[in-house]
Amino acid sequence: MTRPSPRTVRRLIGLGLLVLWEAVPRFGLLPELFVPPLTKTLAVLWLDRSIYGAALLVTLYEVAVAMLIACGVGILTGAIVGGVATMRNLMLPVFSSLYAVPIVILYPIFTAWFGIGSESKIAFAGVYGFFPVMLSTAAGIRTIDEQYLLAARSMGATLPQMIARVIIPASIPTVLAGLRLGGALTIIGVVVSEMLTSASGIGYLVTMNRTILDSPRVFAAIIVVLALSVVFDIIVRAVERRTLVWQTAGRRTASPEAAAPARLATV
Amino acid sequence: MQHMAQLSPGREQSQGAAVEVRGLGHIYAGRDGAVPALADIDLTVPAGRFVVIVGPSGCGKTSLLMMLAGLRTQTSGTILVDGRPIATPDPSRVGVVFQEASLYPWLTAVENVEFPLVLKNAPRDERRARAEAMLNLVGLSGFGGRYPHELSGGMKQRVSIARGLVQDPPVLLMDEPFAALDEQTRMTMGHELLRIWSQTSKTVVFITHSLTEAVYLADEVIVMSARPGRILDRVPIDLPRPRTYQMMATDVFGALRERVWHQIRDVP
Repeated sequence: MTRPSPRTVRRLIGLGLLVLWEAVPRFGLLPELFVPPLTKTLAVLWLDRSIYGAALLVTLYEVAVAMLIACGVGILTGAIVGGVATMRNLMLPVFSSLYAVPIVILYPIFTAWFGIGSESKIAFAGVYGFFPVMLSTAAGIRTIDEQYLLAARSMGATLPQMIARVIIPASIPTVLAGLRLGGALTIIGVVVSEMLTSASGIGYLVTMNRTILDSPRVFAAIIVVLALSVVFDIIVRAVERRTLVWQTAGRRTASPEAAAPARLATV
Repeated sequence: MQHMAQLSPGREQSQGAAVEVRGLGHIYAGRDGAVPALADIDLTVPAGRFVVIVGPSGCGKTSLLMMLAGLRTQTSGTILVDGRPIATPDPSRVGVVFQEASLYPWLTAVENVEFPLVLKNAPRDERRARAEAMLNLVGLSGFGGRYPHELSGGMKQRVSIARGLVQDPPVLLMDEPFAALDEQTRMTMGHELLRIWSQTSKTVVFITHSLTEAVYLADEVIVMSARPGRILDRVPIDLPRPRTYQMMATDVFGALRERVWHQIRDVP
Protein backbone atom coordinates (compact mmCIF):
# COMPACT_ATOMS: atom_id res chain seq x y z
CA MET A 1 0.00 0.00 0.00
CA THR A 2 1.38 3.41 -0.92
CA ARG A 3 1.21 6.50 1.24
CA PRO A 4 -1.44 9.00 0.14
CA SER A 5 0.00 12.30 -1.14
CA PRO A 6 -0.10 15.32 1.22
CA ARG A 7 -2.58 16.86 -1.18
CA THR A 8 -4.98 13.95 -0.77
CA VAL A 9 -4.57 14.06 3.00
CA ARG A 10 -5.28 17.80 3.04
CA ARG A 11 -8.44 17.28 1.04
CA LEU A 12 -9.56 14.44 3.29
CA ILE A 13 -9.05 16.60 6.37
CA GLY A 14 -11.08 19.39 4.76
CA LEU A 15 -13.84 16.97 3.86
CA GLY A 16 -13.76 15.51 7.37
CA LEU A 17 -14.22 18.97 8.90
CA LEU A 18 -17.23 19.63 6.65
CA VAL A 19 -18.76 16.29 7.66
CA LEU A 20 -18.12 17.14 11.33
CA TRP A 21 -19.73 20.55 10.82
CA GLU A 22 -22.85 18.77 9.60
CA ALA A 23 -22.82 15.82 12.01
CA VAL A 24 -21.92 17.42 15.35
CA PRO A 25 -25.00 19.69 15.62
CA ARG A 26 -27.25 17.09 13.93
CA PHE A 27 -26.47 14.53 16.62
CA GLY A 28 -26.91 17.16 19.32
CA LEU A 29 -23.24 17.13 20.41
CA LEU A 30 -23.28 20.94 20.22
CA PRO A 31 -26.38 23.18 20.36
CA GLU A 32 -27.38 24.59 16.98
CA LEU A 33 -27.04 28.08 18.45
CA PHE A 34 -23.28 27.50 18.72
CA VAL A 35 -22.80 25.67 15.42
CA PRO A 36 -25.68 25.31 13.00
CA PRO A 37 -25.36 22.36 10.58
CA LEU A 38 -23.60 23.06 7.31
CA THR A 39 -26.67 22.32 5.16
CA LYS A 40 -28.84 24.65 7.20
CA THR A 41 -26.25 27.42 6.84
CA LEU A 42 -26.03 26.90 3.08
CA ALA A 43 -29.83 26.84 2.87
CA VAL A 44 -30.25 30.28 4.47
CA LEU A 45 -27.37 31.57 2.36
CA TRP A 46 -29.31 30.49 -0.75
CA LEU A 47 -32.60 31.76 0.63
CA ASP A 48 -31.18 35.22 1.42
CA ARG A 49 -28.92 35.31 -1.62
CA SER A 50 -30.11 38.77 -2.67
CA ILE A 51 -29.30 40.20 0.78
CA TYR A 52 -25.90 38.51 0.89
CA GLY A 53 -25.23 39.47 -2.72
CA ALA A 54 -25.96 43.14 -2.04
CA ALA A 55 -23.84 43.08 1.12
CA LEU A 56 -20.99 41.38 -0.76
CA LEU A 57 -21.07 44.07 -3.44
CA VAL A 58 -20.69 46.77 -0.78
CA THR A 59 -17.82 44.89 0.85
CA LEU A 60 -16.14 44.21 -2.49
CA TYR A 61 -16.36 47.86 -3.43
CA GLU A 62 -14.78 48.92 -0.13
CA VAL A 63 -12.08 46.25 -0.40
CA ALA A 64 -11.24 47.24 -3.98
CA VAL A 65 -10.86 50.94 -3.24
CA ALA A 66 -9.00 50.30 0.02
CA MET A 67 -6.60 47.91 -1.76
CA LEU A 68 -5.93 50.46 -4.48
CA ILE A 69 -5.08 53.02 -1.83
CA ALA A 70 -3.03 50.63 0.31
CA CYS A 71 -1.05 49.27 -2.65
CA GLY A 72 -0.64 52.55 -4.52
CA VAL A 73 0.38 54.68 -1.57
CA GLY A 74 2.24 51.76 0.01
CA ILE A 75 4.41 51.06 -3.03
CA LEU A 76 5.07 54.76 -3.62
CA THR A 77 6.02 55.49 0.00
CA GLY A 78 7.96 52.23 0.23
CA ALA A 79 9.95 53.11 -2.89
CA ILE A 80 10.83 56.53 -1.50
CA VAL A 81 11.66 55.25 1.98
CA GLY A 82 13.64 52.30 0.60
CA GLY A 83 15.41 54.19 -2.13
CA VAL A 84 16.42 57.45 -0.45
CA ALA A 85 18.79 57.05 2.50
CA THR A 86 17.71 60.21 4.36
CA MET A 87 14.03 59.27 4.11
CA ARG A 88 14.89 55.76 5.25
CA ASN A 89 16.71 56.91 8.38
CA LEU A 90 13.99 59.42 9.12
CA MET A 91 10.86 57.41 8.46
CA LEU A 92 11.53 53.68 8.57
CA PRO A 93 11.80 53.44 12.40
CA VAL A 94 8.56 55.44 12.71
CA PHE A 95 6.68 53.25 10.26
CA SER A 96 8.06 50.06 11.78
CA SER A 97 6.83 51.06 15.25
CA LEU A 98 3.48 52.22 13.91
CA TYR A 99 3.04 48.78 12.34
CA ALA A 100 3.01 47.27 15.82
CA VAL A 101 0.20 49.56 17.01
CA PRO A 102 -3.26 47.94 16.90
CA ILE A 103 -4.67 50.39 14.38
CA VAL A 104 -8.20 49.23 15.09
CA ILE A 105 -8.27 51.58 18.12
CA LEU A 106 -8.24 54.43 15.59
CA TYR A 107 -11.43 53.22 13.95
CA PRO A 108 -13.80 55.24 16.18
CA ILE A 109 -11.90 58.36 15.12
CA PHE A 110 -12.29 57.35 11.47
CA THR A 111 -16.07 57.06 11.89
CA ALA A 112 -16.10 60.50 13.49
CA TRP A 113 -14.21 61.91 10.52
CA PHE A 114 -15.79 59.98 7.65
CA GLY A 115 -19.19 58.87 8.99
CA ILE A 116 -20.45 55.29 9.21
CA GLY A 117 -20.69 54.76 5.45
CA SER A 118 -18.16 53.15 3.11
CA GLU A 119 -15.67 56.03 3.42
CA SER A 120 -14.64 55.21 6.97
CA LYS A 121 -14.18 51.50 6.08
CA ILE A 122 -12.08 52.38 3.04
CA ALA A 123 -9.95 54.79 5.04
CA PHE A 124 -9.43 52.35 7.88
CA ALA A 125 -8.74 49.28 5.74
CA GLY A 126 -6.50 51.37 3.49
CA VAL A 127 -4.33 52.38 6.43
CA TYR A 128 -4.40 48.82 7.75
CA GLY A 129 -3.19 47.31 4.49
CA PHE A 130 -0.73 50.14 3.78
CA PHE A 131 1.92 49.13 6.30
CA PRO A 132 2.95 45.67 5.05
CA VAL A 133 2.95 46.91 1.45
CA MET A 134 5.07 49.91 2.31
CA LEU A 135 7.48 48.04 4.57
CA SER A 136 8.06 45.17 2.15
CA THR A 137 8.50 47.53 -0.79
CA ALA A 138 11.10 49.45 1.20
CA ALA A 139 12.80 46.17 2.16
CA GLY A 140 12.66 44.90 -1.42
CA ILE A 141 14.40 47.98 -2.76
CA ARG A 142 16.88 48.23 0.08
CA THR A 143 18.05 44.63 -0.26
CA ILE A 144 18.73 44.68 -4.01
CA ASP A 145 22.11 43.11 -4.71
CA GLU A 146 24.66 45.92 -5.20
CA GLN A 147 26.24 43.82 -7.91
CA TYR A 148 23.12 44.19 -10.08
CA LEU A 149 23.38 47.97 -9.92
CA LEU A 150 27.13 47.98 -10.51
CA ALA A 151 26.73 45.73 -13.55
CA ALA A 152 23.98 47.98 -14.90
CA ARG A 153 26.20 51.03 -14.49
CA SER A 154 29.07 49.27 -16.25
CA MET A 155 26.73 48.64 -19.16
CA GLY A 156 25.91 52.34 -19.35
CA ALA A 157 22.44 52.36 -17.77
CA THR A 158 20.93 55.77 -16.99
CA LEU A 159 19.02 56.28 -13.73
CA PRO A 160 15.56 55.82 -15.34
CA GLN A 161 16.81 52.66 -17.08
CA MET A 162 18.25 51.45 -13.80
CA ILE A 163 14.88 51.91 -12.10
CA ALA A 164 12.80 50.37 -14.89
CA ARG A 165 15.07 47.49 -15.84
CA VAL A 166 16.87 46.55 -12.62
CA ILE A 167 15.36 48.00 -9.45
CA ILE A 168 11.72 47.25 -10.28
CA PRO A 169 12.17 43.68 -11.54
CA ALA A 170 14.60 42.91 -8.72
CA SER A 171 12.17 44.06 -6.04
CA ILE A 172 9.03 42.46 -7.50
CA PRO A 173 9.18 39.23 -5.41
CA THR A 174 9.35 41.12 -2.10
CA VAL A 175 6.75 43.65 -3.18
CA LEU A 176 4.36 40.87 -4.23
CA ALA A 177 4.74 39.21 -0.83
CA GLY A 178 3.82 42.56 0.74
CA LEU A 179 0.83 42.97 -1.58
CA ARG A 180 -0.41 39.55 -0.58
CA LEU A 181 -0.20 40.37 3.11
CA GLY A 182 -1.49 43.91 2.64
CA GLY A 183 -4.42 42.68 0.54
CA ALA A 184 -5.40 40.14 3.17
CA LEU A 185 -5.19 42.81 5.88
CA THR A 186 -7.36 45.11 3.76
CA ILE A 187 -10.08 42.46 3.64
CA ILE A 188 -9.80 42.00 7.40
CA GLY A 189 -9.90 45.77 7.91
CA VAL A 190 -13.07 46.17 5.87
CA VAL A 191 -14.90 43.27 7.51
CA VAL A 192 -13.85 44.26 11.04
CA SER A 193 -14.88 47.88 10.56
CA GLU A 194 -18.21 46.75 9.09
CA MET A 195 -18.72 44.62 12.18
CA LEU A 196 -17.96 47.52 14.52
CA THR A 197 -20.02 50.40 13.15
CA SER A 198 -21.94 50.08 9.95
CA ALA A 199 -25.26 49.69 8.16
CA SER A 200 -24.20 47.51 5.25
CA GLY A 201 -21.66 44.92 4.07
CA ILE A 202 -20.90 41.34 5.05
CA GLY A 203 -19.42 42.34 8.41
CA TYR A 204 -22.64 44.17 9.23
CA LEU A 205 -24.65 40.99 8.49
CA VAL A 206 -22.46 39.06 10.95
CA THR A 207 -23.03 41.56 13.76
CA MET A 208 -26.69 42.14 13.02
CA ASN A 209 -27.59 38.44 12.92
CA ARG A 210 -25.51 37.72 15.98
CA THR A 211 -27.48 40.23 18.04
CA ILE A 212 -30.72 38.46 17.11
CA LEU A 213 -29.11 35.04 17.76
CA ASP A 214 -29.64 33.86 14.18
CA SER A 215 -26.63 31.54 14.02
CA PRO A 216 -27.16 30.09 10.53
CA ARG A 217 -27.12 33.60 9.05
CA VAL A 218 -23.97 34.50 11.02
CA PHE A 219 -22.26 31.40 9.68
CA ALA A 220 -23.54 32.10 6.20
CA ALA A 221 -21.83 35.50 6.33
CA ILE A 222 -18.66 33.86 7.62
CA ILE A 223 -18.70 31.49 4.65
CA VAL A 224 -18.93 34.46 2.29
CA VAL A 225 -15.93 36.17 3.96
CA LEU A 226 -13.96 32.91 3.82
CA ALA A 227 -14.75 32.55 0.14
CA LEU A 228 -13.68 36.15 -0.46
CA SER A 229 -10.28 35.59 1.21
CA VAL A 230 -9.70 32.30 -0.60
CA VAL A 231 -10.51 33.82 -3.99
CA PHE A 232 -8.17 36.72 -3.25
CA ASP A 233 -5.39 34.29 -2.35
CA ILE A 234 -5.93 32.28 -5.54
CA ILE A 235 -5.72 35.44 -7.65
CA VAL A 236 -2.52 36.61 -5.93
CA ARG A 237 -0.91 33.19 -6.35
CA ALA A 238 -1.79 33.18 -10.03
CA VAL A 239 -0.23 36.63 -10.43
CA GLU A 240 2.88 35.47 -8.58
CA ARG A 241 3.20 32.40 -10.79
CA ARG A 242 2.96 34.49 -13.91
CA THR A 243 5.37 37.23 -12.83
CA LEU A 244 7.94 35.07 -11.08
CA VAL A 245 8.21 32.47 -13.82
CA TRP A 246 12.00 32.93 -13.73
CA GLN A 247 12.18 31.63 -10.18
CA THR A 248 10.46 28.38 -10.94
CA ALA A 249 10.95 27.86 -14.65
CA GLY A 250 13.87 25.48 -14.30
CA ARG A 251 12.33 23.06 -11.83
CA ARG A 252 10.74 21.09 -14.62
CA THR A 253 13.96 20.63 -16.68
CA ALA A 254 16.88 18.43 -15.81
CA SER A 255 19.69 19.87 -13.70
CA PRO A 256 22.02 22.22 -15.62
CA GLU A 257 25.06 20.10 -14.73
CA ALA A 258 23.53 17.24 -16.67
CA ALA A 259 23.65 19.30 -19.84
CA ALA A 260 26.93 21.07 -19.18
CA PRO A 261 29.53 18.33 -19.79
CA ALA A 262 28.33 17.81 -23.34
CA ARG A 263 29.05 21.46 -24.03
CA LEU A 264 32.32 21.62 -22.17
CA ALA A 265 33.53 18.56 -24.04
CA THR A 266 33.47 20.56 -27.26
CA VAL A 267 36.21 22.85 -25.90
CA MET B 1 54.84 38.52 -29.88
CA GLN B 2 54.92 36.59 -33.12
CA HIS B 3 52.71 33.88 -31.64
CA MET B 4 49.95 36.41 -31.05
CA ALA B 5 50.10 37.76 -34.56
CA GLN B 6 49.82 34.20 -35.72
CA LEU B 7 46.65 33.58 -33.75
CA SER B 8 44.80 36.68 -34.79
CA PRO B 9 46.11 38.43 -37.87
CA GLY B 10 44.02 41.51 -37.15
CA ARG B 11 45.83 42.29 -33.96
CA GLU B 12 49.05 43.60 -35.46
CA GLN B 13 47.17 46.42 -37.15
CA SER B 14 45.87 47.80 -33.87
CA GLN B 15 48.63 50.12 -32.82
CA GLY B 16 49.31 51.98 -29.63
CA ALA B 17 47.98 51.31 -26.18
CA ALA B 18 44.48 50.12 -25.51
CA VAL B 19 44.85 51.15 -21.88
CA GLU B 20 47.18 53.89 -20.71
CA VAL B 21 47.46 54.78 -17.02
CA ARG B 22 49.71 57.64 -15.93
CA GLY B 23 50.59 58.65 -12.37
CA LEU B 24 47.39 57.23 -10.99
CA GLY B 25 46.71 57.70 -7.30
CA HIS B 26 43.62 57.14 -5.24
CA ILE B 27 42.76 58.17 -1.70
CA TYR B 28 39.47 57.32 -0.09
CA ALA B 29 37.89 58.60 3.10
CA GLY B 30 38.11 55.86 5.70
CA ARG B 31 37.00 55.81 9.33
CA ASP B 32 40.33 57.22 10.56
CA GLY B 33 40.75 59.83 7.84
CA ALA B 34 42.16 59.58 4.35
CA VAL B 35 43.41 56.15 3.29
CA PRO B 36 45.76 55.93 0.32
CA ALA B 37 44.54 53.01 -1.80
CA LEU B 38 46.63 53.34 -4.94
CA ALA B 39 49.86 55.22 -5.59
CA ASP B 40 52.04 55.95 -8.61
CA ILE B 41 50.39 53.49 -10.94
CA ASP B 42 51.82 53.61 -14.46
CA LEU B 43 50.50 50.97 -16.77
CA THR B 44 50.49 50.59 -20.52
CA VAL B 45 48.57 47.74 -22.05
CA PRO B 46 49.18 47.41 -25.81
CA ALA B 47 46.16 46.51 -27.89
CA GLY B 48 45.43 42.81 -28.01
CA ARG B 49 47.42 41.97 -24.88
CA PHE B 50 46.33 39.74 -22.06
CA VAL B 51 47.43 41.34 -18.81
CA VAL B 52 46.79 39.76 -15.43
CA ILE B 53 46.98 41.73 -12.19
CA VAL B 54 47.77 39.88 -8.96
CA GLY B 55 48.34 41.17 -5.46
CA PRO B 56 47.34 40.69 -1.85
CA SER B 57 43.78 41.35 -0.75
CA GLY B 58 43.08 45.02 -0.34
CA CYS B 59 45.87 46.12 -2.69
CA GLY B 60 43.41 48.15 -4.68
CA LYS B 61 43.37 46.00 -7.79
CA THR B 62 39.59 45.98 -7.91
CA SER B 63 39.60 49.77 -7.40
CA LEU B 64 41.98 50.07 -10.34
CA LEU B 65 39.70 47.94 -12.48
CA MET B 66 36.65 50.00 -11.47
CA MET B 67 38.51 53.14 -12.58
CA LEU B 68 39.43 51.56 -15.91
CA ALA B 69 35.72 50.79 -16.34
CA GLY B 70 34.71 54.37 -15.51
CA LEU B 71 32.81 53.13 -12.46
CA ARG B 72 34.96 55.03 -9.97
CA THR B 73 36.90 58.29 -10.24
CA GLN B 74 40.57 58.40 -9.30
CA THR B 75 41.98 61.09 -7.02
CA SER B 76 44.89 61.89 -9.31
CA GLY B 77 46.51 60.82 -12.56
CA THR B 78 45.07 60.03 -15.96
CA ILE B 79 43.50 57.00 -17.57
CA LEU B 80 43.13 56.66 -21.32
CA VAL B 81 41.14 53.80 -22.78
CA ASP B 82 41.31 53.45 -26.52
CA GLY B 83 43.03 56.85 -26.56
CA ARG B 84 40.38 58.78 -24.65
CA PRO B 85 39.68 59.43 -20.96
CA ILE B 86 36.95 57.31 -19.44
CA ALA B 87 34.95 59.40 -16.98
CA THR B 88 31.75 57.35 -17.12
CA PRO B 89 31.12 53.71 -18.09
CA ASP B 90 31.22 53.18 -21.85
CA PRO B 91 30.30 49.60 -22.82
CA SER B 92 31.29 50.22 -26.42
CA ARG B 93 34.89 50.73 -25.26
CA VAL B 94 35.07 48.59 -22.13
CA GLY B 95 33.20 45.39 -21.29
CA VAL B 96 33.25 44.27 -17.65
CA VAL B 97 32.90 40.73 -16.31
CA PHE B 98 32.31 40.51 -12.57
CA GLN B 99 33.08 37.76 -10.12
CA GLU B 100 29.63 36.19 -9.92
CA ALA B 101 25.91 36.75 -9.56
CA SER B 102 25.82 39.83 -11.75
CA LEU B 103 23.49 38.19 -14.26
CA TYR B 104 19.88 39.24 -13.80
CA PRO B 105 17.90 36.22 -12.58
CA TRP B 106 14.65 37.49 -14.12
CA LEU B 107 16.15 37.49 -17.62
CA THR B 108 17.07 34.47 -19.73
CA ALA B 109 20.66 33.95 -20.85
CA VAL B 110 20.08 35.59 -24.22
CA GLU B 111 18.17 38.49 -22.61
CA ASN B 112 21.06 39.01 -20.21
CA VAL B 113 23.54 39.09 -23.08
CA GLU B 114 21.50 41.61 -25.07
CA PHE B 115 20.87 43.81 -22.01
CA PRO B 116 23.52 46.44 -22.97
CA LEU B 117 21.94 46.65 -26.44
CA VAL B 118 18.47 47.06 -24.92
CA LEU B 119 19.81 50.02 -22.95
CA LYS B 120 20.90 51.54 -26.25
CA ASN B 121 17.45 50.86 -27.80
CA ALA B 122 18.91 48.66 -30.52
CA PRO B 123 16.29 47.04 -32.79
CA ARG B 124 15.04 43.75 -31.42
CA ASP B 125 16.09 41.50 -34.29
CA GLU B 126 19.52 43.01 -34.49
CA ARG B 127 20.26 42.71 -30.79
CA ARG B 128 18.84 39.19 -30.59
CA ALA B 129 21.04 38.07 -33.49
CA ARG B 130 24.08 39.69 -31.91
CA ALA B 131 23.37 38.09 -28.52
CA GLU B 132 22.90 34.66 -30.12
CA ALA B 133 26.22 35.09 -31.93
CA MET B 134 27.94 35.92 -28.64
CA LEU B 135 26.40 32.89 -26.92
CA ASN B 136 27.65 30.82 -29.80
CA LEU B 137 31.14 32.28 -29.35
CA VAL B 138 31.25 31.30 -25.67
CA GLY B 139 29.99 27.78 -26.45
CA LEU B 140 26.43 28.19 -25.21
CA SER B 141 24.38 28.06 -28.39
CA GLY B 142 21.05 26.47 -27.58
CA PHE B 143 21.11 27.65 -23.97
CA GLY B 144 19.76 31.14 -24.65
CA GLY B 145 16.31 30.39 -23.26
CA ARG B 146 17.60 29.21 -19.90
CA TYR B 147 17.34 31.34 -16.79
CA PRO B 148 20.56 31.85 -14.77
CA HIS B 149 19.46 29.47 -12.01
CA GLU B 150 19.16 26.76 -14.63
CA LEU B 151 22.84 27.16 -15.57
CA SER B 152 25.96 25.86 -13.81
CA GLY B 153 28.53 28.28 -12.39
CA GLY B 154 30.81 27.98 -15.40
CA MET B 155 27.95 28.49 -17.82
CA LYS B 156 26.87 31.62 -15.95
CA GLN B 157 30.34 33.07 -16.34
CA ARG B 158 30.25 32.24 -20.05
CA VAL B 159 27.04 34.26 -20.27
CA SER B 160 28.77 37.10 -18.38
CA ILE B 161 31.64 37.04 -20.87
CA ALA B 162 29.17 37.06 -23.77
CA ARG B 163 27.44 40.06 -22.20
CA GLY B 164 30.77 41.87 -21.78
CA LEU B 165 31.62 41.29 -25.43
CA VAL B 166 28.21 42.01 -26.96
CA GLN B 167 29.03 45.60 -27.94
CA ASP B 168 32.38 44.51 -29.34
CA PRO B 169 34.49 46.73 -27.05
CA PRO B 170 38.25 46.71 -27.68
CA VAL B 171 38.91 46.18 -23.95
CA LEU B 172 37.56 43.48 -21.65
CA LEU B 173 38.00 43.90 -17.88
CA MET B 174 37.58 40.84 -15.70
CA ASP B 175 37.40 41.01 -11.91
CA GLU B 176 38.18 37.52 -10.57
CA PRO B 177 35.63 36.04 -12.95
CA PHE B 178 36.35 32.42 -12.05
CA ALA B 179 36.98 32.81 -8.32
CA ALA B 180 33.71 31.17 -7.33
CA LEU B 181 34.19 28.14 -9.57
CA ASP B 182 35.63 24.79 -8.61
CA GLU B 183 39.18 23.97 -9.72
CA GLN B 184 38.27 21.84 -12.73
CA THR B 185 35.68 24.27 -14.09
CA ARG B 186 38.13 27.09 -13.46
CA MET B 187 40.81 25.43 -15.60
CA THR B 188 38.35 24.76 -18.38
CA MET B 189 37.06 28.32 -18.26
CA GLY B 190 40.60 29.73 -18.39
CA HIS B 191 41.27 27.66 -21.48
CA GLU B 192 37.95 28.75 -22.97
CA LEU B 193 38.73 32.38 -22.27
CA LEU B 194 42.01 32.07 -24.18
CA ARG B 195 40.14 30.56 -27.12
CA ILE B 196 37.60 33.41 -27.10
CA TRP B 197 40.38 35.95 -26.72
CA SER B 198 42.30 34.54 -29.66
CA GLN B 199 39.15 34.64 -31.80
CA THR B 200 38.21 38.21 -30.90
CA SER B 201 41.60 39.99 -30.52
CA LYS B 202 40.49 41.89 -27.43
CA THR B 203 42.71 43.56 -24.90
CA VAL B 204 42.09 41.83 -21.59
CA VAL B 205 42.87 43.09 -18.09
CA PHE B 206 42.22 40.22 -15.70
CA ILE B 207 42.37 40.17 -11.91
CA THR B 208 42.93 36.95 -10.00
CA HIS B 209 44.21 35.50 -6.76
CA SER B 210 45.41 32.33 -8.45
CA LEU B 211 49.05 32.50 -9.51
CA THR B 212 48.71 29.40 -11.70
CA GLU B 213 45.79 30.99 -13.49
CA ALA B 214 47.76 34.25 -13.84
CA VAL B 215 50.79 32.60 -15.46
CA TYR B 216 48.67 30.30 -17.60
CA LEU B 217 46.59 33.13 -19.10
CA ALA B 218 48.86 36.15 -19.26
CA ASP B 219 51.20 37.81 -21.71
CA GLU B 220 52.28 39.84 -18.72
CA VAL B 221 51.61 39.53 -15.00
CA ILE B 222 51.47 42.77 -13.00
CA VAL B 223 52.28 42.27 -9.31
CA MET B 224 50.86 44.82 -6.90
CA SER B 225 51.80 45.59 -3.31
CA ALA B 226 49.56 45.96 -0.30
CA ARG B 227 47.96 49.30 0.55
CA PRO B 228 48.71 51.70 -0.90
CA GLY B 229 48.74 49.59 -4.04
CA ARG B 230 51.82 50.08 -6.19
CA ILE B 231 53.16 48.07 -9.07
CA LEU B 232 55.99 45.92 -7.68
CA ASP B 233 56.89 43.93 -10.76
CA ARG B 234 55.92 43.24 -14.33
CA VAL B 235 56.59 39.66 -15.27
CA PRO B 236 56.53 38.93 -18.99
CA ILE B 237 55.21 35.43 -19.66
CA ASP B 238 57.02 34.10 -22.70
CA LEU B 239 55.31 30.75 -22.86
CA PRO B 240 54.21 29.97 -26.41
CA ARG B 241 50.58 30.14 -27.47
CA PRO B 242 48.25 28.41 -27.67
CA ARG B 243 48.81 27.49 -24.06
CA THR B 244 48.29 23.91 -22.99
CA TYR B 245 47.69 22.28 -19.63
CA GLN B 246 50.97 20.39 -20.05
CA MET B 247 52.88 23.67 -19.81
CA MET B 248 51.94 23.93 -16.15
CA ALA B 249 54.26 21.02 -15.40
CA THR B 250 57.29 22.63 -17.08
CA ASP B 251 60.20 24.26 -15.27
CA VAL B 252 59.68 27.54 -17.08
CA PHE B 253 56.10 27.73 -15.83
CA GLY B 254 57.21 26.86 -12.30
CA ALA B 255 59.95 29.50 -12.37
CA LEU B 256 57.55 32.19 -13.53
CA ARG B 257 55.03 31.23 -10.90
CA GLU B 258 57.80 31.26 -8.29
CA ARG B 259 58.91 34.75 -9.35
CA VAL B 260 55.37 36.11 -8.92
CA TRP B 261 54.87 34.27 -5.64
CA HIS B 262 58.15 35.63 -4.33
CA GLN B 263 56.98 39.22 -4.82
CA ILE B 264 53.64 38.68 -3.14
CA ARG B 265 55.05 36.70 -0.26
CA ASP B 266 57.48 39.49 0.63
CA VAL B 267 54.63 41.91 1.03
CA PRO B 268 54.17 42.59 4.74
